[in-house]
Amino acid sequence: MNETSPVLNVTIDGIQVSVPKGATILEAAERVGVVIPRYCYHPGLSAPAVCRMCLVEVDGAPKPLPSCVQQVQDGMVVHTASAEARKARRAAVEFLLVNHPLDCPICDAAGQCELQDYAFETGQLRTRNIEPKAVLGRDKLTPDILYFADRCVLCTRCVRFMDEIAQEPVLQVIQRGHKGYIDTMTDELFEHPFSMNIVDVCPVGALVNEDFLFKPRAWDLDQTPSICPGCSQGCNVLLGTKENRVLRAKPRPNNEVNSYWMCDHGRQALVNWGAGDRIEVPMIRESGRLAPTDWPQALAALSRTLEARPAGARAIVSAGASNESLYIARKLADKVGFKGGVFRVETGPEAGLPGFPKLRLRAERAPNVRGAELLGFRRSADVLEAIRGHKGVLIVLEDALIDAPEDFGVELEMFIYVGTHMSPAARRADIILPSTTFAEAEGSFTNVEGRVQRFAQALHPPGLARPLWLTGSTALAGLGAGAVYRTAAAAFDALVGEFGEFQGLSYAKLGLGGASVAEAESSAANVS
Amino acid sequence: MAIGVKKVERPEAGSSYLRATLKGMGLTFRHLATPITVSQQYPEEKWELAPRMRGTHRMAVHEDGRAKCVACGLCPTVCPANCIKLVPAEDENGERYAAVYEIDEFRCIFCGYCQEVCPVEAIHLGVHYEAAEYSRERFVYDLERLCEQDHPFTQLWDPEDPASE
Repeated sequence: MNETSPVLNVTIDGIQVSVPKGATILEAAERVGVVIPRYCYHPGLSAPAVCRMCLVEVDGAPKPLPSCVQQVQDGMVVHTASAEARKARRAAVEFLLVNHPLDCPICDAAGQCELQDYAFETGQLRTRNIEPKAVLGRDKLTPDILYFADRCVLCTRCVRFMDEIAQEPVLQVIQRGHKGYIDTMTDELFEHPFSMNIVDVCPVGALVNEDFLFKPRAWDLDQTPSICPGCSQGCNVLLGTKENRVLRAKPRPNNEVNSYWMCDHGRQALVNWGAGDRIEVPMIRESGRLAPTDWPQALAALSRTLEARPAGARAIVSAGASNESLYIARKLADKVGFKGGVFRVETGPEAGLPGFPKLRLRAERAPNVRGAELLGFRRSADVLEAIRGHKGVLIVLEDALIDAPEDFGVELEMFIYVGTHMSPAARRADIILPSTTFAEAEGSFTNVEGRVQRFAQALHPPGLARPLWLTGSTALAGLGAGAVYRTAAAAFDALVGEFGEFQGLSYAKLGLGGASVAEAESSAANVS
Repeated sequence: MAIGVKKVERPEAGSSYLRATLKGMGLTFRHLATPITVSQQYPEEKWELAPRMRGTHRMAVHEDGRAKCVACGLCPTVCPANCIKLVPAEDENGERYAAVYEIDEFRCIFCGYCQEVCPVEAIHLGVHYEAAEYSRERFVYDLERLCEQDHPFTQLWDPEDPASE
């Protein structure tokens, strides 16, 4: 579909559209906003035209054509909502509903089910079927995925995902006709690091995530576009939240990063992200004791420490913090005299997706390794060793320092801890500022390829917790160093002005798809 | 300029209250002779309620005493007063059931949408009005209490006139 290929003109429901040669009717219809119902077609997979749901009427064709595979011809006139097309679709839905259990009230897919939507749309409210429905029962496919055979419409999206994208063809359609079901050829459960995508592609409630089963209804969840913090790939996700908790993450299509997929590690990591013993109020040390205080007091205490000192400031940051928070951490250290900052990255096994090689579960299990490096922080295996002997100010950002010795920080002039969770090392700090997780404030991450991607706020931060780009910049502005950044956009745009690698980017321009930093490829080689 | 005041002459007939008083007393004495019997000896005598009267809730139960609710979540979704709390869970047979089901009868506006929306005819309003309690907390009915209620279910339509004609 390059630019030199001929352009064909078609009419879809009376709307003229020009599409490149090779496009299908369904793709052409989507360009003009006509959504043709489909089950087996998925934009990330091949189309076998087995569900017969996307039948449309084409002038001159002897019978309805499956629009997901029928390529557009010049001058074609397509009717997607004509009587004949609707009749064909109604018949397809009627056949699917012959054995479908209609247990929508207890089905996890209710509210996000394509069969439910199209059954309503075609208006077939009563069944003509008088036979009892076939009962096939349920089965486990992986340790976390449950398969309800009765609900399955045999669209084979899951089979094709395993064949084409995972390239581990473990799933098959077993039996035929109304006895057909999806299963592996062995009795054993299969495991694959990207297996949960088959739940996403399932248009009905046949494949369900057992961890999510019978939890909230789909319509109860608030959906927020975000970035997965599970590894440095930076998959685009939609966070499903309810009652201030992250309950699930679904991939958000972005062809530059993750296409329509994401790994199971990320999904599991995201559930209940940021739960636990949170720091909710700022604290400052008064006569040897940590005392809770309010933000003006805490920021005043912070401002007093931010004077030029001979021993300077070092920082231990986290590669899970946003670009904006890291930038402010750097500015705080700069104000005292930046003597270097380090961060550590947890690592884990990698996993690839052969059908979409750009997407990998990366070994670095942190979302902003590149961002931290671009902002002048250094990756270190032992962050405590890296700051040993330092006697000035230490700024810790979102690293709980769980491996710190009991007397950590005795030789420090000033120990500022900015974090989300309390830890024994954090209790030794002179100033504790509660900060937010990525889900509780907007911001951006820079992924392994140098792609800067924005995430939106999905949750309310607990108590008085605020992002460092807000609180830190307020303290700095009080000392005449920069403005107060009330939005992540302001902080990011200030960052762009100071760090050349981000040249040409702006928060608004990043949009939902993200944009790459200059010379991303060349410096990406240094990351590992 | 002085304001002109118009003086209205009172009619002779209106200046005496005697006639109106006699008229009123006439009605009083007439009622003495023929007493009206709409008062009821409540609580000994109960009010006969319409089958569509919408009162406090009741949950339908299976023969073994389990609530019929499948925890689909439609009633908390449709409830305009946000008075239904539902936490679904999986039981030992792998079926969906309501682990927590509470209705705050103080918040409830008795619209009956929950009964109308219920796909398994589990939650009903009841033909019942004696809901007084000694504490506010008691007005939050939990699942056990909803199942224990034994007043008749509210009818969504008049059984003698289903089409409301």
